[in-house]
Amino acid sequence: MTVMLQTALLSRRRLLETLRQPIWVFMGLSVPLLYLALFAPLLTSLAGGPGFPRGGVLDVFVPGIMALMAFGAGMGAGWIVIGELDTGVIERLRVTPASRLALVLGTVFRDVVTFLVPAVIVVVVALPFGFHAHWGGVALLVVLMALLAAACSATSAALGITLKQIGSLAAVVTGLQLPLTLLSGVLLPLSLGPGWLQGLGHANPMYYAVEAARQLASGTLDSGTVALGFAVMAAAALLAVWWATRAYRRAMA
Amino acid sequence: MSSPPAGAAVRVTALRKTFHTRRGDVEALRGIDLQVAAGQIYGFLGPNGAGKTTTLRILTTLLAADSGEAMVAGVDVRRHPAEVRRRIGYVGQLGGADIEATGRENLILQGRLYGMGAAETERRADELIELLDLRAFSQRIARSYSGGQRRRLEVALGIMHRPEVLFLDEPTLGLDPQNRANLWVQLRGLRDAGTGILLTTHYLDEADQLSDRLAIIDHGLVVAEGSPEELKQRYPAGVTITPRAGARDAAALAAELEGDPLVREAHVEDGAIRVHVSDATAGLAALFEQLRARGVEVLGVSLQEPSLDDVFLHETGRSLRDADPTAATEAR
Repeated sequence: MTVMLQTALLSRRRLLETLRQPIWVFMGLSVPLLYLALFAPLLTSLAGGPGFPRGGVLDVFVPGIMALMAFGAGMGAGWIVIGELDTGVIERLRVTPASRLALVLGTVFRDVVTFLVPAVIVVVVALPFGFHAHWGGVALLVVLMALLAAACSATSAALGITLKQIGSLAAVVTGLQLPLTLLSGVLLPLSLGPGWLQGLGHANPMYYAVEAARQLASGTLDSGTVALGFAVMAAAALLAVWWATRAYRRAMA
Repeated sequence: MSSPPAGAAVRVTALRKTFHTRRGDVEALRGIDLQVAAGQIYGFLGPNGAGKTTTLRILTTLLAADSGEAMVAGVDVRRHPAEVRRRIGYVGQLGGADIEATGRENLILQGRLYGMGAAETERRADELIELLDLRAFSQRIARSYSGGQRRRLEVALGIMHRPEVLFLDEPTLGLDPQNRANLWVQLRGLRDAGTGILLTTHYLDEADQLSDRLAIIDHGLVVAEGSPEELKQRYPAGVTITPRAGARDAAALAAELEGDPLVREAHVEDGAIRVHVSDATAGLAALFEQLRARGVEVLGVSLQEPSLDDVFLHETGRSLRDADPTAATEAR
């Protein structure tokens, strides 16, 4: 009960902070829209080819873009955490009785919201360009990607507290970004690639999310792939939140 | 369960802490003892790296001690950190105001996190905005505050929930003299209302004028403890004599002056002779006698009542001002 109230209070503070810096809202939105406008047209000639159903290029592409957006919305958390280490905010909060889980969830919740708002806009924008929305599937897809955003947010926060330096955090996050996104097939499905590439993808939690998202976008809700995607993302989110909570709890000296 | 003596805000016994760094172990605390009463401002004076911040971080549950006992508001810090957090306020060296929020939003969130109700939190926030004179800027984003404004907000955050014990780490660092004096007034007010206050400082005048009692700490040990007056009375007064240049060899003269029974120690510093006499009045008279007997022409003589720096000098063999800040690495 206390944890929920504290989470609500801390999320509100985070959302206010985001709203006061509208440049980030704008940037968060511009990246997926640029992908849709400047990259998706390159894919139209692939329609009907391997991995792309006829006339359904965006049906394959939009889920990947959603995964990129969730990754981006979540992975920013560590930068803010390091800023708060430097201004002593985290130290002050750690001396209050506030639940350390609530401290983590406040950030995670904000990052989920900052994913959800542009995600809905991207879906709406993609419709006239030929995205076939199966509404039940799209709704579940957004929930699945919200879990990915939560996992990324908690991971980034834990990294921020542990590494304490913007430079180290940037190196780790950039180092993770390419393998994680490439090996999940966000831009093109991994099924197009050779077996070893697909094999590597199976070691990447994000791969399961993107695979499940593509099925959801095509209207398949009850496949094993979808169930596996949710299971992997739920586990990743829980594990990351546990890690971040532990990092907040641990002595920082 | 052994209960602490009535009114003990803080009781620390044989506190030790060693940091294991890549360059070897650093003994930050080597057995600290101290006791702070409720309604008392207790100063913790020492050079950077002496162990002040480490002690504070242990008392505020941010860091675990290796050994020793720390009781805050009668609660064991090691065994019941959550209970300690409810009873204490903390203003860290970094401050900790959320600079992306307004001052008032900062206060409201702080109150709610301590479990205060919404209405009570609003009332208390208004009270503190009045008390610490934050009205003019409490609705502005804290990023835009001046150093003094931000410090006042941070002190308000530390006392939002009316803590029994308040910890402040270098609270006046970087404040201009007026803001510093204002903060002293506020802290005395809190003290008079019964709050036990433990603050660290490396400003001599702050330790001297603000503290009811103080501990001087160096290399992880308390080297002197008492009220500022008690501490200073234990040590001799200083006299600075400026002989006419070239009149005599100053070092030789200093050595001769040391022969006087009232003179404890004399040395040359910047061309002047600094003498410590065990009694200010009689000592000064004796010095004049010595100088006249030797025909030394003197440009000036000044008398310094013993300061806390003298106390530090006598306990550690070096001046607090000169104490090498890199001698001991305070872990962050």
